[in-house]
Amino acid sequence: MRLRLPAQFLAVTVVLLAGAPPGAAQTASSSIPRTSDGRPDFSGIWQALTTASWDIQDHAAQKGVPGGPGIVVGNEIPYQPAALARKKQNYDRRATDDPVAKCYLPGVPRLLYMPFPFQIVQTPTELMLLFEFVHAVRFVFLTGRHPPGPIEWWLGDSRARWEGDTLVVDVVHFNDQTWFDNAGNFHSEALHLVERFTYLDPDHIQYDVRVEDPKVFTRPWDMRVILYRRKEANAQLYDYECYAFDYEQYYPYPQMRSPQ
Amino acid sequence: MSLRWLIGAVGLALVAAAAAPVRGQEGGPAAKPLERLADGQPNVQGHWRPVNPGSLSLTNPVPQAADFDPSIKPLPSRIVDPPDGRVPYQPWAAALQKEQNHYYAYPMRPEHIDTQHRCLLSGVPRLFTIVPALKIVQTPGQVVFFWDSYHAYRVVPLDGRPHVAPNVKLYMGDGRGRWDGLTLTIDTRSLKGQRLTYIGDFYSDNAQIRERLTWTDADTFTYEATVTDPTVFTRPWTMRLVQRRLPTEEVWETACYEGMSNPDRYLLKVAPAPPTR
Repeated sequence: MRLRLPAQFLAVTVVLLAGAPPGAAQTASSSIPRTSDGRPDFSGIWQALTTASWDIQDHAAQKGVPGGPGIVVGNEIPYQPAALARKKQNYDRRATDDPVAKCYLPGVPRLLYMPFPFQIVQTPTELMLLFEFVHAVRFVFLTGRHPPGPIEWWLGDSRARWEGDTLVVDVVHFNDQTWFDNAGNFHSEALHLVERFTYLDPDHIQYDVRVEDPKVFTRPWDMRVILYRRKEANAQLYDYECYAFDYEQYYPYPQMRSPQ
Repeated sequence: MSLRWLIGAVGLALVAAAAAPVRGQEGGPAAKPLERLADGQPNVQGHWRPVNPGSLSLTNPVPQAADFDPSIKPLPSRIVDPPDGRVPYQPWAAALQKEQNHYYAYPMRPEHIDTQHRCLLSGVPRLFTIVPALKIVQTPGQVVFFWDSYHAYRVVPLDGRPHVAPNVKLYMGDGRGRWDGLTLTIDTRSLKGQRLTYIGDFYSDNAQIRERLTWTDADTFTYEATVTDPTVFTRPWTMRLVQRRLPTEEVWETACYEGMSNPDRYLLKVAPAPPTR
């Protein structure tokens, strides 16, 4: 853990006050689900349809890796030179060093575009994002401010506000352990995200993320993902207890895992 | 991680045990009634914790505190049926549990280490017995439980939808709930076999559980779970405990497995033999 300078919090505040970045989605739809207090209601089961968890940039297929377009706006990630070298090293070691390969909490925003569904539970004061992958839970508070820190969390500290029909979430207090994808794209503990959730229509959310990390990148950059509502009548989160699979032979007892 | 967690849990159990009588007086006759939510559910949202938390043992709860303070007497068994307060194991299952009761203190094989020390999800009903708090959130048509540990959560739909296929086994099971007055009844199937305590109580993949969460006032509910598992037990059995409301606070991240050193490194090469009988 390192001390974080007050200037960084000032920067967070400035971003909050500056309002919408260019390219924010607009929806004129009055048909979107709304809560009793008139806010967009994002409750439901959602999933991104993208190969971005393997690589957030445009990429061709490899064995076991589906190819596809990336989610980085403009496709280029503005790494500082030393960070670019680190990214390449990460890529070479991705089979073992990717935190998801170790079944660790994948971090934000990666959890939202992994190939697993997640559920949003929304109240007037917070949104809870429940993920199938490792049963992760992310709390997004519509109240309060970021605690002073320094704090290094896997999923950061999320504080949200409404800008019209867009939910804007400011996220800080990350650790430097998570990657954006399996291709080794990474960040430091100075990562600062501004996420924007905007309904395109009742079953699609445009999810925009502005990424800032002055230790790794030369300038802020953006990602854009569409979240699709899972509409199957039997849609439901199961579980993917990634780190438990190797231990299931022992519990409740090995004897019970013999043929039944 | 596991030792640090255990020490913290013991400390919390001591604090909770000491605080319980006072809190009990506070929740006396002048208790607040429950509000109703727009969809008709009683509003039971908030943070909760067992009055006497701890998942070391069902039959001898909270002996951790007694380890540190001999004046603390063991509590009655959490098991209210059968009347003898014991888990009605079939003989082979009783032997497994007794063996684990011994080897918990002298772990030699991976299965001697409790699932909680590996950060595995403890499932139902064990998560309702642990020291970390639980949070209830209700939105139309569902009750959602969060635990302040293991980033555990559980979604219980109230719309009567069918269960998932019986061959699907889930760590939190597949629960379907309904309100009957101030009682939330949850039928849970598709349970993956689980340990229930540090000392190795367990059920198998064939278990089904019916839970009844009954609010006696706005700040108190009784948690009751009836476990049916013809693979392991001779008959269904029922456990019960009381949960009290805690002050509302933000739930912050509780990573567990990340960076944990593998507890298998502490396995012993030699250990006393289990007592014979």
